[in-house]
Amino acid sequence: MGNGERGRPNKKMKYGGKDDQKMKDIENVEDYYDDADDQDSRDGEGEERKRDFTKLVLKPDHGNRPLWACGDGRIFLETFSPLYKQAYDFLIAIAEPVCRPESMHEYNLTPHSLYAAVSVGLETETIISVLNKLSKTKLPKEMIDFIHASTANYGKVKLVLKKNRYFIESPFPEVLKRLLSDEDINRARFSSEPCYGGDEFTIGKTSGEIEPGPGELLSEAELAAAAEEKETHSFEIDPSQVEIVKQRCLPNALNYPMLEEYDFRNDNVNPDLDMELKPHAQPRPYQEKSLSKMFGNGRARSGIIVLPCGAGKSLVGVSAAARIKKSCLCLATNAVSVDQWAFQFKLWSTIRDDQICRFTSDSKERFRGNACVVVTTYNMVAFTGKRSAEAEKIIEEMRNREWGLLLMDEVHVVPAHMFRKVISITKSHCKLGLTATLVREDERITDLNFLIGPKLYEANWLDLVKGGFIANVQCAEVWCPMTKEFFAEYLKKENSKKNQALYVMNPNKFRACEFLIRFHEQQRGDKIIVFADNLFALTEYAMKLRKPMIYGATSHIERTKILEAFKISKNVNTVFLSKVGDNSIDIPEANVIIQISSHAGSRRQEAQRLGRILRAKGKLEDRMAGGKEEYNAFFYSLVSTDTQEMYYSTKRQQFLIDQGYSFKVITGLPPPDAGSSLSYHSQEEQLSLLGKVLNAGDDLVGLEHLEEDTDGMALQKARRSIGSMSAMSGAKGMAYMEYNSGRSKSGKQFNKPKDPTKRHNLFKKRFV
Amino acid sequence: MPQVKIIAKNFMDMVASLPAIKLDKLYNNVFICEAILRSLPPLAKKYVLQMLYIDVAVPATVLEEWVLADGASKHRVAIDRLIQLRIFSEITDRKRGTSYSLNPTFQNNLQKHIISGGVLPREPMNSDNSIKLPSLQELETYALKQWERFLLQLINSGQGDKLNGISESMMKIFQRGLLSQRDKDGPRLTESGFQFLLMDTNAQLWYIIREYISNAEERKVDPADLISFLLELSFHVTGEAYNSNTLTELQKNTLKDLEDLGLVKLQQGMKGNWFIPTKLATNLSVSLSDSSARKEGFVVMETNFRMYAYSTSKLQCEILRLFARIEYQLPNLIACAITKESLYNAFDNGITSDQIITFLQQNSHPRCADRVPAIPENVTDQIRLWESDLKRIEMTQAHFYDEFPSKDVFEAACDFAREWGGLLWEDSKRMRLVVKSEVHNQMREFLHTQSK
Repeated sequence: MGNGERGRPNKKMKYGGKDDQKMKDIENVEDYYDDADDQDSRDGEGEERKRDFTKLVLKPDHGNRPLWACGDGRIFLETFSPLYKQAYDFLIAIAEPVCRPESMHEYNLTPHSLYAAVSVGLETETIISVLNKLSKTKLPKEMIDFIHASTANYGKVKLVLKKNRYFIESPFPEVLKRLLSDEDINRARFSSEPCYGGDEFTIGKTSGEIEPGPGELLSEAELAAAAEEKETHSFEIDPSQVEIVKQRCLPNALNYPMLEEYDFRNDNVNPDLDMELKPHAQPRPYQEKSLSKMFGNGRARSGIIVLPCGAGKSLVGVSAAARIKKSCLCLATNAVSVDQWAFQFKLWSTIRDDQICRFTSDSKERFRGNACVVVTTYNMVAFTGKRSAEAEKIIEEMRNREWGLLLMDEVHVVPAHMFRKVISITKSHCKLGLTATLVREDERITDLNFLIGPKLYEANWLDLVKGGFIANVQCAEVWCPMTKEFFAEYLKKENSKKNQALYVMNPNKFRACEFLIRFHEQQRGDKIIVFADNLFALTEYAMKLRKPMIYGATSHIERTKILEAFKISKNVNTVFLSKVGDNSIDIPEANVIIQISSHAGSRRQEAQRLGRILRAKGKLEDRMAGGKEEYNAFFYSLVSTDTQEMYYSTKRQQFLIDQGYSFKVITGLPPPDAGSSLSYHSQEEQLSLLGKVLNAGDDLVGLEHLEEDTDGMALQKARRSIGSMSAMSGAKGMAYMEYNSGRSKSGKQFNKPKDPTKRHNLFKKRFV
Repeated sequence: MPQVKIIAKNFMDMVASLPAIKLDKLYNNVFICEAILRSLPPLAKKYVLQMLYIDVAVPATVLEEWVLADGASKHRVAIDRLIQLRIFSEITDRKRGTSYSLNPTFQNNLQKHIISGGVLPREPMNSDNSIKLPSLQELETYALKQWERFLLQLINSGQGDKLNGISESMMKIFQRGLLSQRDKDGPRLTESGFQFLLMDTNAQLWYIIREYISNAEERKVDPADLISFLLELSFHVTGEAYNSNTLTELQKNTLKDLEDLGLVKLQQGMKGNWFIPTKLATNLSVSLSDSSARKEGFVVMETNFRMYAYSTSKLQCEILRLFARIEYQLPNLIACAITKESLYNAFDNGITSDQIITFLQQNSHPRCADRVPAIPENVTDQIRLWESDLKRIEMTQAHFYDEFPSKDVFEAACDFAREWGGLLWEDSKRMRLVVKSEVHNQMREFLHTQSK
C-alpha cells in the first residue's frame, strides 16, 4: 500500500486557489501509514488501556489537518479547521456522527456507515487515502484493516432494473463468477442471454459520480474520481427469481449484499409523469447535496436522507419525485400529514391536481391516468383486516403498479414488520426514506438499512442553525420542586401506578407552566404548544387554563378546526397536544413549546417535539448568529425534581445535546412574588387537586396508546434496569448503533454490548 | 494532620520567618544581603540605601518626614518588612520615642559589596569541546519535564519514573496536606492539593521549596545553609555550566534533590561533574507576581459536557482525571467527559465546583476563550447544581428513643424535648422520637426522673 495516491487521477482535481494552498501544505506528506504496524499492541486490559492512542505518530504538519482517527473507529474532527467543510462532507459519508457540538465532532466508523459509503460510490482505497490525508496522525493499522474488512464485499454488486429487466452488475467480473457458482443464481440467470453458459458478461459503461459545486475539493476530486466512467460487467436474471437471488447474496450466504439502483432515464416501459419543480422551489445547499448523493451517478439510489425537522424534507422528497418523473407512492404516518404531503406536492411542483390522489380512510380517491402520485399512510397499505370493496380495488391497483419511487416519511417511527409488509406489497424501483432523527428506542435502525438502503446524507443541525435555515432554539429545563404533599404521596408504594400523574400534576409545575404561557402570550406574542403525554394531565391543564386541546380521540375535522384557529385567530395562542402532535402535524406558526409530561426516556420524542418549532421564522439576517433575534424559539421541558422525571429528562435530551443543543436549567419558576395570580396558590387548592389525582382510576392517569407508536412498545418492554445516571447525563450518547467491540468490559456504559446473536446477519461475524 | 495553608508568596517570606540567630548568620553572606535588598519593596529599598552609611539609630519621626502624607501606608509596609527581616532593629526610648538602626552585619556586608562588588563562589566553566551545553530551549523543556515527573510522583498517580534524589520519606513530607490518607484505597488529593495543582509552576515550586526548607532540620541540615545556597543559585546564569567541585558536601546532596525538581541539570564529563541551573532556579527569588505570564489555555468545553484538552502532558491528564472521565488519549489531545459521577468523585475529595469552573475558565483554549462565556453556561450551571444537590441534606447528630412505658411518658418526653428545642421527629402512634444529641443528657436525666 503506502500510497493512496495510486489510481487517483490528480488531473481531475480542481479547487479554488485558497484550498489549493491548503491542500499543498499537506500534500507532500503522504505515505504515512502502513509503516506503523508495531504500535498499538494494546492487548486490552481494562477500558483505559484501550482508549490510549497516545502512541500514534503525529505528522509534522498536523496543525493543518482536521482530524484524529483512533484504532477503535472513533474519529475526532475540529470544526474550526480550514478544511472542516470538506472533512465534514467526507466523514458524514463514511461514518456515523456520535455528537456534533460546536468545536469538536465525534464520529464512529461502523460497518453500516462504511456500507453506506460504498453504496454512494466510494471505494476502499479512496476512503483510506482521504482519511489519511485528513488525519493528524498516521492512520492506525486497525482502522485500515477494519475499512478493508468492512468494505471488501460491499457495493461490489448492483441490482439494476433496466427497461423492466433485472441485471446483476459489477465492475469485477470475478465477483460475478463467484455469484454464478451458486446454483440458485446460476439457475436464475436469464436463459435468453446470448452467450449462455460461458464466462462472458455483457460489458457496459456507467457514468461517474457527478458532484456539484466548486470548492468541494474532497467530495469532488477524491470521491468522484473514484467513480470515473468505467466498465461494468453484468448478466440478466429472471424477474421472478429476483427475491431468491437477493436472498442468496445476503451476508448469511454469499455475502455480497446488492445495492439497488434505478436507471430511470432509460426506463421507457413505465409511463412518464409530467411534473417539474416550480421555479420558486429553490433547494438549499444541503437539500441539493442530499439529492446529489441520491442521484450521484445519474441513477436513483435507494436510501435514507436525514434532515432536521423544519429543514425542508418535503422539498427533498418532491424534488426526488420530480427528477425521476415516474409514478410515486408517498407514505406518511397519519391522515393529517397525508394532506400536508399532497399540499407540498402541489406547492413545489407543476403536478396537476388530477395526477395526485390521497388514499386514507376518509378519502379514497381513485387513480387517474397511468402515472400519478399517490399519498397514503403506512397503516392503509399494511392493513391486514377486511377492507371495503373500494379500498380493496385501490390496494389491488397499488399492488400491480410498478412504482418509480417509494417515498417514505418518518421512517424511524414505523415498525419493522410494517415496513416489510409495505415493501413486499408494493413493487418499486427506488425507495427513499426521510427522517429527522435516526434513533429508535427499539434499536432497529439496522433493519432500515437493509429494508430501504443506507443513509445517504445527514445534515448537521448546528450548521443549519448557523446558516439560518432552521430556528435557533433556546432549550431550557425548568426544575419544579414537588410540593410536600405530592411528594409524600409519590413516595408511597401503593401509588406506584399514579407516579406519573403525581409528578405531572405537581402544583409547582402547573404554576410554572401557567407562568410561561402567560409570559410568552402577553410579553412576546408567541404561539405556544403545550405537550402532555399523560391524558389526565392534558385534560386537567387545558380545562383549568381554558385552552383548546388535541389528542388521539379528537376527530380529524375538529383537529383541523383547532389548528386552523391556532394559525389564524389572535385569541388562540396556545394549544395543548398529546402524543399525536409529536410527528408530522405541521404547525409552522408555533415558536414555543412547553413540555409538561413526556414519554419516559424517548430521545426521539424530544427531538421530534423540538422539530415542531424548528421551522425558521422572521428575516434571515435576524436569525443568523449574532443577529437581532438570536433565539426566536423556545423549548421548555418542565420536570418535577427528585422524581423519575429527572432521570428520564436527562436521557431524553441526549440526542439533542449530541446535536449541539444545550439545555439551560431554570430554577425558581414561577417567581416567588407570582403569588395568587397563578392557580393552585393556596394549600386547599393544592390538596383538592391531589385528591383528584388520587381518586382518578389507574386507567385514567396512565399513558395514551397510539397505534403508530413503536417507541412506546419498545420502552414498555424496556428493562427498568439500573443505569448509571451519569453515563447518560454526561456525553455517553450512543444515539446511534455503534460499533463497540472490545468495550464490553466497561461496566459504566449505559448501552450494554448487544447480544451477538441478535445482530443483523451482515454484522454478526464481526462481533464474535 | 498538620493544617497546611498554601500561601504562595515569595522566598523572602521564608527568610523572614527564620529565627533571629539564623537570620544573622544568613546576613554573613554578601549575596544574600544583595538578594534581600533586591526583594524589598521600593520604599524599603530606599530607606536601606539612605541609612547605609548612618551608624546611629534614626528616629521614627525623621523617617516619617521622608514621605508625603499619602505615602503613609506604604511607609508602614516598608518599615514592617524591614523589621520582619531584622534589617531594621527597633529601639524604643521613653524620651525620644522609637528609632531604627540597620542590622550591623547586613550594613557591613552591603557596604563592602558596594565598594568591591560581589564575587560568586564559583564562575561558569569555560565552554570547550568537552562540555556540550544544552540550548536554552532544551534546558527549559528538560526543566519542565523533570518538574512534571515530580508532580506526577507527588500526586501518586503511579505513572512516571522513579526519582533519583528525593527519597520516599521526603516525598511523604511534600504530600502532607496535599494528599489525604483517610481511605484504604490509597491517598487522595485534598482540596488544597487540588488548589496546588491549579497554581502556576512558580507558585507550586515555591510551595515545595518551602516545605523542603522547613523540613531541613529533620534531615539534620541547617535551613539557613539551604536558603543561602538556593539564593546563591538564583545568582547563577541560566544555561551555564558550573563545576560541582566548588560545592560543599551538603550542597552536592542538595543538588540531587534539586535535579529532581528540575532546578538544575547535572552532567558528567571528562573534566568531572558540573551542574547547569535552569530557569526554574534563577526565577526562584523573583517575586511571584512578576512571573505571572499566562500560559495558553488548552481546554475546549462543549455544551454536551465533553471536554477536549489539547495537551500531551500526563500531568494535565491526571489533573483532568480529578473531575472528569478520560475517554480517549491521543498524541496531542485528551478527550474526556464531565459526568455526575466524576464530579461527585471530585466533590467527595473536597474539590469545589468553583475551583473546577475557575480551572476551566483559566485554561480554556484560545478558540473558546473569546467566547462569552468561555465555558458554556449550561455546563457551569450544571456543575454548580450537582454540587448544591449534595448539600441539600443537613446532618444532625441525634438520638433515637423508643419503647416508652406509657403514652404519658412519651408525651412528656416530647414536650420536654420540644422545650429544649431538640425535637427532630416524633411518631406518636408507635411512640418513638428522635432528639438532637445536644439535649441527650438532659433527656436522659428527665426520663430517669420520669421512670421513678
